[in-house]
Amino acid sequence: MEQFFQQLTNGLAVGGIYALIALGYTMVYGVLKLINFAHGDLFTIGAYLGLTLLTSLSLTDRLGPFWGVVALAAMAMGLVALVGALLERVAYRPLRESPRLSAVVSALGASIFLSNAVMLIYGARFHVYPQDLLPKITLDLFGLQLPLVRVLILAASLVMMTALYLFIQKTRIGTAIRAAAIDQGAARLMGIDVDRVILLVFLIGPALGGVAGVMVGIYYGQINFTMGWTYGLKAFTAAILGGIGNIPGAMVGGLLLGVIEAMGAAYISIAWKDAIAFCILIAILIVRPTGLLGERVAEKV
Amino acid sequence: MMDRTKYLYLAGTVVLAAAPAVLNTYWVDVLNNVGMYAILGLSLNLIVGHAGLFNLGHAAFYAIGAYTAAILNSHFHIPVLWLLPLSALTAGLFALMIARPIIHLRGDYLCIVTIGVGEIVRIALINNVFGITGGANGIFGIDRPQIFGWVIRRPQEFYYLIWLFLMVTVFLFQRLENSRFGRALNYLREDETAAEGSGIHTAHYKLMAFVIGAAWAGMVGNIFAAKMTIISPESFSFWESVLMFTLVILGGSGSIPGVLLGALLIIGLPELFRGFANARMAIFGVAMVAMMIFRTGGILPARPRTYRLPQPAAAVEAKP
Amino acid sequence: MKRTLWGALALSLLLAGPVMAADGIKIGLMGPMTGSWASEGQEMKQVLDLLAKAVNDQGGLLGKPVVVVSEDDGGDPRTAALAAQRLATQGVVAVVGTYGSAVSEATQNIYNEAKIIQIANGSTAIRLSEKGLKYFFRTCPRDDEQGRVAVQAIEKMGAKKVAILHDNTTYAKGLADEAKSLLAGKAEVVFFEALTPKEQDYTAILTKLKAAAPEVVFFTGYYPEGGLLLRQKMEMNWPVPFIGGDATNNPDLVKIAGNKACAGFRFLSAPLPKDLPSEGAKSFLSQFQTQYGSQPSSIYAVLAGDGFRVLCEAIKAVGSTDPDKVAAYLHKDFKNFPGLTGAISFNEKGDRVGEVYRVYQVDAAGNFILQP
Repeated sequence: MEQFFQQLTNGLAVGGIYALIALGYTMVYGVLKLINFAHGDLFTIGAYLGLTLLTSLSLTDRLGPFWGVVALAAMAMGLVALVGALLERVAYRPLRESPRLSAVVSALGASIFLSNAVMLIYGARFHVYPQDLLPKITLDLFGLQLPLVRVLILAASLVMMTALYLFIQKTRIGTAIRAAAIDQGAARLMGIDVDRVILLVFLIGPALGGVAGVMVGIYYGQINFTMGWTYGLKAFTAAILGGIGNIPGAMVGGLLLGVIEAMGAAYISIAWKDAIAFCILIAILIVRPTGLLGERVAEKV
Repeated sequence: MMDRTKYLYLAGTVVLAAAPAVLNTYWVDVLNNVGMYAILGLSLNLIVGHAGLFNLGHAAFYAIGAYTAAILNSHFHIPVLWLLPLSALTAGLFALMIARPIIHLRGDYLCIVTIGVGEIVRIALINNVFGITGGANGIFGIDRPQIFGWVIRRPQEFYYLIWLFLMVTVFLFQRLENSRFGRALNYLREDETAAEGSGIHTAHYKLMAFVIGAAWAGMVGNIFAAKMTIISPESFSFWESVLMFTLVILGGSGSIPGVLLGALLIIGLPELFRGFANARMAIFGVAMVAMMIFRTGGILPARPRTYRLPQPAAAVEAKP
Repeated sequence: MKRTLWGALALSLLLAGPVMAADGIKIGLMGPMTGSWASEGQEMKQVLDLLAKAVNDQGGLLGKPVVVVSEDDGGDPRTAALAAQRLATQGVVAVVGTYGSAVSEATQNIYNEAKIIQIANGSTAIRLSEKGLKYFFRTCPRDDEQGRVAVQAIEKMGAKKVAILHDNTTYAKGLADEAKSLLAGKAEVVFFEALTPKEQDYTAILTKLKAAAPEVVFFTGYYPEGGLLLRQKMEMNWPVPFIGGDATNNPDLVKIAGNKACAGFRFLSAPLPKDLPSEGAKSFLSQFQTQYGSQPSSIYAVLAGDGFRVLCEAIKAVGSTDPDKVAAYLHKDFKNFPGLTGAISFNEKGDRVGEVYRVYQVDAAGNFILQP
């Protein structure tokens, strides 16, 4: 039983990061119906930019560990958001009126370029965040070992997801985003500047991916230029599991995928855990063809 | 118009037949890879380009064909080329089994399921499923193909095997495209509801396209196994599926010349970019984006087909 | 507009074509320059470039300069087969490389048929040298040798319950299997599973490992995962000792895990250049430091360097680049060559002979200390 709860917390921590990245997939998909395969690489860029900022500005020395990390995350978010907007302008906007799969190929090309560009700039060796950025305390909760950083990371991702949810649901801009996601043409007629909405989505999504990169860097320490591919695929799976285009769906999907993987590893087989996760995903999709929280819509042509 | 295309194909055939005499072994082997991916691309084109099913797990079928050939050849010493139909059969059956429950999924959901299937197959191969796949080591010591006692060994010899197979594939797939089956697929890709309304059993046709495409990929797997003489799971990663998908869309989905050109670019460009050393894949990525932006529908998109009515009289009768 | 762009693209393609190298003795390097193992391949190239420069500064080989022709195998068998064909058509006399066993295997036949000597630097799978290929050699020892030393070390630690964790790569699985069969009767293997490489959160695996209560964990995979395992193990407050295979031998392991988490970690490795008495190894290290500003991080890159030095020595001794003569010389008369990683000799299979592996332990400051 103790192992069960320990694995549950393990799974939730990983799932929180999947969920943050999945939000970027799902937001872009919601508005553009595009699977942005380069999103994972924006996450990588966030991790690398975070490292550069951290070592060059020595933020934690100036502002203390907590505010230093917050400032770092905010700066990385801003920069990755700019990269995301640039990516949209260069690689996706020219393809907006073309067949959907063409944009997917453009996204794959962008993904190859971005990860290799990171390799060329930073080198192929693994990079490492400084140790002990945050105090290394492990909480002992009824026999469960919970590193404090891990709790903080899960909390931070939940706060950001809630903030995003409220932003989308309660503000005028959020309403505009939802409107554009439902029907771009009608939204345009209602006076919504759809181009701006798309730009906004390409700022928010990558920003969340970027901050996830920084969080992974701080917690796990080790970053490398191919990590975006692995995390990106997981996050995409999470987004689909929850119902792509649906923001709470991405959160649920991410956390659930993390837990499924941890439980699969614990009780069935470590080596098969990804296969188990995919089997469960397929089973869910057979029963609910549009994911857990996805809308049940007929195939749009 | 038709004549020009014919001459083009004829000229292309002559150039291709002469290629090994002019090129060195390395370039011949690059062309072998192009040829194999062109066949894989054509098989995927049936699924993605014609039936409009978003398949990013085609490497799974390719893998099953390859492993069928490898296992049967290394255990029972059945000549690999004899195993071609069996590779096709296992890959096709597997596709039928997994596609049946998922064929109704909407585009992007189908995409993740096919990715999932690809990954499940790869993980199963790595974990030595049923104790026959050799795990991470893969299977080695696969025989070279033989035709009437003549062993195909050198890249130049493989070149003729692969490109002959490619030509047969092009010929058959062209027939298929223009058949009742091909037209039905295009109809349901364009408008599924209307197709269903016109009496096309859409799920059945989609499934057929999936199975035929998978079976064809299985046969390429067989040739790949015989060519490498060793296969291991890393040759069938998600990345391979991405390559196949990319070459279909980039070349022009639904168009046979487009897919052939796509294979040439997707396999050929990274080789041409070897001069850039470490930067070659970055440049390849830029080239992919650039080609997609300049030719949004693919480089050689499928042309709308025109069919002439058999006789003018039929048109008159059709009027009320 | 479009035409011009296409023209520009085509032109850039032509310009990208290979630059013809000057006349000289060409030695190929096949390594992963892109892809997941790019850091290994790029460092192999750094080492070979440095050594080639040293040879050429001293007048080259047989009066001709040595030219290193490097090709990217991408860490993937299909790309590697193409890289091998390309090297074969560029007139190289021998090839150093490559890293992964399955990748090397895809190229063995090509080199053998083209009569090109291949000296692998990181491919430790046993079967590569069991095929009787005349031109295949390797400077890295085989998995069975490493398994033997690993089991000795585990026995020395007095562990009765051992967990073995691998990562399902050819190398790590091979080593894990070897160790498991050698441990039979000596200690109980309470856990034998594979993790998925390239992930970052291994807490689920560690939690499961902990439940199996081993006295020592033998991890046969690579340093990125090794570092993360050590770090996350410390965060769980689990003090079990870890021992790693030679793929964990990399200073980046300590960087990833941190000094505290690494302290006490043992691993097997060919002796590091710093622990070799030979002058050659010392001067190589200082040259590498001045040229690239850091120490070589991967032992496999140094082993590639040894492959290159072996080739130069053999070509010099035979007085020609004839592959048959060089291969025969390497098989028979080449004994106890002072390599960067210790004395090098080959047996009739092309495997490196002699006791190569040592046990190292990481101290509190993150240094690798040779164990007696």
